[in-house]
Amino acid sequence: MEKTGKKISHVTGVLARSVRIIIENILREGGALQEIRMRIGQPLTVMIDGEEQILPLKERAHIVTKEEIKETIEYMSRYSLYAYENELRQGFLTLEGGHRVGVAGKVIVDRGKVKNIQYISSLNIRIAHEVIGCADELIPYITKNKKVCHTLIISPPRCGKTTLLRDLIRQISDGNEYVKGCSVGVVDERSEIGGCYMGIVQNNLGMRTDVLDCCPKAEGMIMLIRSMSPQVVAVDEIGTAEDIHAIEYAMQCGCKLIASVHGMDMEEAARKPVLGEMIRRKMFERYIVLGNDGHPGKVKEIYDERGSVLCRK
Amino acid sequence: MQKVIGGILILSATAGAGVVYGNELKRYLRNMVYLRYVFGLIRGEIEYTCAPLPEIFFGVSARVKEPYRRWLKKTAEEMECRDLSGFARVWNRCTDKYLEIPGLKQEHKILIKEPGTFLGSFEKDISDRAMEMYLNKMDLEIEKLRAELASKVKVGRCLGVMAGLFFIVLLI
Repeated sequence: MEKTGKKISHVTGVLARSVRIIIENILREGGALQEIRMRIGQPLTVMIDGEEQILPLKERAHIVTKEEIKETIEYMSRYSLYAYENELRQGFLTLEGGHRVGVAGKVIVDRGKVKNIQYISSLNIRIAHEVIGCADELIPYITKNKKVCHTLIISPPRCGKTTLLRDLIRQISDGNEYVKGCSVGVVDERSEIGGCYMGIVQNNLGMRTDVLDCCPKAEGMIMLIRSMSPQVVAVDEIGTAEDIHAIEYAMQCGCKLIASVHGMDMEEAARKPVLGEMIRRKMFERYIVLGNDGHPGKVKEIYDERGSVLCRK
Repeated sequence: MQKVIGGILILSATAGAGVVYGNELKRYLRNMVYLRYVFGLIRGEIEYTCAPLPEIFFGVSARVKEPYRRWLKKTAEEMECRDLSGFARVWNRCTDKYLEIPGLKQEHKILIKEPGTFLGSFEKDISDRAMEMYLNKMDLEIEKLRAELASKVKVGRCLGVMAGLFFIVLLI
């Protein structure tokens, strides 16, 4: 089911040569590479099968140099930092294959806003993985008469809400026995859902999906509704008042909405200022609460618009 | 009669050499103007599309003539290989290897290699300003060449004729 390590060469190809050799050697030994961490003056570490490893050996660690970080950044940006300015401002870069690179360093602030990141000192390369079919058990609960319900996914960080949302989008877009395939508009502000690289979606989001990449959610939802007339709009990690107003607008335009939000449970989501008001007004028809026990994407509870439990695990 | 024919032949050969020299200077200027046009296209593409350099070079290479087409295409290909750290190194290597402009002066070769030091390494605004300054520098260089051209062409032609006459006198 899980397509981890998809096109891993897209990751190894952008690493500094000295680091590339070490990573390629460790890949030959097998195991699913999940993360590579490079910090200036610190050992090179990787996450393989959920376990952190210091490379090449714990007692003989490879210390990452400034030049290696610089070389890696050059390869990642294809010698064109200016082309990735907007992404860098948000602290990440997306590689071909949908892999994400988190960056940290000295932040340049202009009039109170982050302008760019200079002197990059840390890189966190996260290998993209899709869990095809992880939303299978969820689909019957969020559909009515082969149509999608307005759905809100509530989840603590790192519990697989984006992975789940991605698979939901794919299934709704392609259609199946529970839902008729329909056009889905995705506003992917941080390139996490589609993992777009140069505008091309790298993850499987289905055949009827249009993605607005690196676009602010509120603005993007309105743009999509006006230009692509989607039947379903999907957004990840809603939070600001503008996002929520745009969701309201999308709902009033006849689009079905699937969104995700950070939160531990329904109560916590209901306490959020603007979102709480939407919950009280019963604007969402389904609430999916994810738990952080077991595997990522584990559904804890599903509620309907009245707050009645439809499923509890 | 033979002397007259010989004299005419010598004169036309040396005068011809003077004309060829003038034409070479004109061609050199045309190459520099075209190079400025190529850099102008690159700047425009960076400003408008904000795409990474390899894509810009591929795009521009399709719109320019040889040898600039091959030079840009090869540079883009070598950049995609990611086997050299530092854009300047890739740029310098490709300029040396693929940009064949006849009689290119050392000072102009250095000028062509200069974008390697700033292209792609800054933010868009700074990159754009650096490119603007570079294009101004190229304009100045072209103006200098243009100003020198008329007098150099004239001197070349005169020297050609004079040399011819000198040989004729010498041989007679």
